[in-house]
Amino acid sequence: MDADSDVALDILITNVVCVFRTRCHLNLRKIALEGANVIYKRDVGKVLMKLRKPRITATIWSSGKIICTGATSEEEAKFGARRLARSLQKLGFQVIFTDFKVVNVLAVCNMPFEIRLPEFTKNNRPHASYEPELHPAVCYRIKSLRATLQIFSTGIITVTGPNVKAVATAVEQIYPFVFESRKIL
Amino acid sequence: MTGRVCRGCGGTDIELDAARGDAVCTGCGSVLEDNIIVSEVQFVENSGGGSSAVGQFVSLDGAGKTPTLGGGFHVNLGKESRAQTLQNGRRHIHHLGSQLQLNQHCLDTAFNFFKMAVSKHLTRGRKMAHVIAACLYLVCRTEGTPHMLLDLSDLLQVNVYVLGKTFLLLARELCINAPAIDPCLYIPRFAHLLEFGEKNHEVSMTALRLLQRMKRDWMHTGRRPSGLCGAALLVAARMHDFRRTVKEVISVVKVCESTLRKRLTEFEDTPTSQLTIDEFMKIDLEEECDPPSYTAGQRKLRMKQLEQVLSKKLEEVEGEISSYQDAIEIELENSRPKAKGALANLSKDGSGEDATSSPRCEEDTEDEELEAAASHMNKDFYRELLGDDGGSEAAGDPDGGSRPLALESLLGPLPTAASLGISDSIRECISSPSGDPKDSSGDGELDLSGIDDLEIDRYILNESEARVKAELWMRENAEYLREQKEKEARIAKEKELGIYKEHKPKKSCKRREPILASTAGEAIEKMLEQKKISSKINYSVLRDLNSKGGGSPPRDDSQPPERASTKKLSRRKRATTRNSADPGTSTGKRLRPLLSAQPAKKAAVGEALLLSSPALGAEPVKPSAVLVESGPVSYHPEEDADEEDAEDEDGEPCVSALQMMGGNDYGCDGDEDDGY
Repeated sequence: MDADSDVALDILITNVVCVFRTRCHLNLRKIALEGANVIYKRDVGKVLMKLRKPRITATIWSSGKIICTGATSEEEAKFGARRLARSLQKLGFQVIFTDFKVVNVLAVCNMPFEIRLPEFTKNNRPHASYEPELHPAVCYRIKSLRATLQIFSTGIITVTGPNVKAVATAVEQIYPFVFESRKIL
Repeated sequence: MTGRVCRGCGGTDIELDAARGDAVCTGCGSVLEDNIIVSEVQFVENSGGGSSAVGQFVSLDGAGKTPTLGGGFHVNLGKESRAQTLQNGRRHIHHLGSQLQLNQHCLDTAFNFFKMAVSKHLTRGRKMAHVIAACLYLVCRTEGTPHMLLDLSDLLQVNVYVLGKTFLLLARELCINAPAIDPCLYIPRFAHLLEFGEKNHEVSMTALRLLQRMKRDWMHTGRRPSGLCGAALLVAARMHDFRRTVKEVISVVKVCESTLRKRLTEFEDTPTSQLTIDEFMKIDLEEECDPPSYTAGQRKLRMKQLEQVLSKKLEEVEGEISSYQDAIEIELENSRPKAKGALANLSKDGSGEDATSSPRCEEDTEDEELEAAASHMNKDFYRELLGDDGGSEAAGDPDGGSRPLALESLLGPLPTAASLGISDSIRECISSPSGDPKDSSGDGELDLSGIDDLEIDRYILNESEARVKAELWMRENAEYLREQKEKEARIAKEKELGIYKEHKPKKSCKRREPILASTAGEAIEKMLEQKKISSKINYSVLRDLNSKGGGSPPRDDSQPPERASTKKLSRRKRATTRNSADPGTSTGKRLRPLLSAQPAKKAAVGEALLLSSPALGAEPVKPSAVLVESGPVSYHPEEDADEEDAEDEDGEPCVSALQMMGGNDYGCDGDEDDGY
């Protein structure tokens, strides 16, 4: 039964954050002037560049470090990062695409049942923390995977982790616990 | 107690007196040991006549009082840092706790939590107020007192979420499981604040029952307990004929009005709300409800389904109507005269554009007929185009919103991609992102597979666009640019005046270990090792100086005490005066006499030393005011902010090293250490 539900549960990845380096100094002013879809934040010293095809937003620093957010899968993130590097190349910088790393993945998963949060917190004491005064969800941390899950009473679970695999494993791990404290209709 | 043998008589019977601290042979009476370390408690008499135990408290974990026989008179501030922190914490806890009306037991528990937090270094990097509030709230939760985090944040004027973060961290690190909040805990407190008088207890009981009902109806998961309490109390009050308005309740319960209303409406949706007051008190409904968010979701789902069904039905109805319409039109046409020749030819061609343009090139007399005919032709044509399936939809039913759909399906086939000849590029655009990215992490080369250069070119603006954009950006960020310009102007002006100081981040002065050395020469060497070595000083000469100036001339006595004490001060203050661009500080002035006194000694050696007057470049150095000895004073007052070392090097040999190292304080420190 559990295995079946695992297969049936679809985990929707909503955001993938990645970083990469260009190993060359970037002139933010030039990018800001010649890029068509950039926002130049001079006070903090960065440029936001948005791409349309894989819908991503990149934060570019003059040191050459770039953070890329908004992709919906790891491959898309890499693809978007490469496109970004290519467009920087076209602007005239000697860009080398190195140190690409996916840093954070955010996914949403829907359970077919509701969950009793106080009961769940009691059964999972050290990992779960529930403060209704502060946030309506239970915050469950899995140290081994470095993943954090936010469990809402409607059965929606938000997972953040270092990569897609960790996220999937986290959901699989949490399923039996959540199943215990479900609301039986 | 080791069974020693007496030296005198050889006997083994040795008596150890713990109080006096000596070991005596009972045979010959010779004292074998004296001043044994005793562990007796001694008492001294106070001024008031009472007696107190002698001794000091030494903490287990913190560093004990290291006996610093050399300098280190900073240590003697009374206690060590850890004890001070704990004392501070205790004071704050009591202060806050009394405002919350917590009893002594709670305050003690809170202090224990605080001690644990301090030992785990959780206070580092956090405001003490936050940590203390978190400790207090932890106690409130474990004891079950009706205090909310909101109360604490009210008292401290801090954001509740910031406090919550600290609290969560504390609970996690101390491995304390705070029991979940039960809204029932808050009822008596709020009821009291709402002033129900004699019926307080009854209203509270009713509210409690309501709350339990709400819990069973799944209204309380994920909600702030205070909101539920507010709703329950409001209803309970009304049930007992107390007219408490929403405003009064929210001022007590600290939630927003809309939240309260929402809770009330949710409660309204439950079947319990249908019961009368008496029924409610007696009966408890068996069934449970779904949580409100769940029902809201279900409702949305149902609405969507309904809409779909409706739209399908609408289509069917439309289809019927249009078929009737067409039948009518056909009848009308049959009864109407045939169209003229030219028009008929045109219409037989069957292109939509011509049909629409036909009404334009017409004679006036036949306008109406022709228009009617033309519109009918259009309808026929459209129907043919779309075929039977979609035809009913597109038949031009104005209501139902299918008009936009019809237009799209109409215009779609007319100019096809193929007819325009751009199908290739479109296919390219669509297929370009689907290329699989290969691994290019090896050599750092950018893998261009699947990247469409054309599209990326579109991301780069041409010159005119760049200019426009630059102008827009300038206008947007005009304020920031103005500030930057002002700042630069200010810096340039200061540079001109020579007052410009670069604001380096303050480096905290490290307290150095006092050097323990037997001779002055050794002390100098050690000190030189410790400090940054300056290249502008001839150390051999310095060492020679010491021997010469070892018996420092008496007039130095007036100065060294001042100098010795100010030396330490000036070392510290120098770091600060360098950072502040204020030239007129008193320490600066004191520096000057110090500096000027020393090179006078050096004059004998004939060395040119560099002086630094960090803040006082422009002012002339007046040695004569301070110096007693007259003689060739060769020194160069230069403004050099980085010659701190030179100053210190200057000073050392002219005053005995012992004095430099704070030898004056021998006496004080010794007294402190021995102090009984």
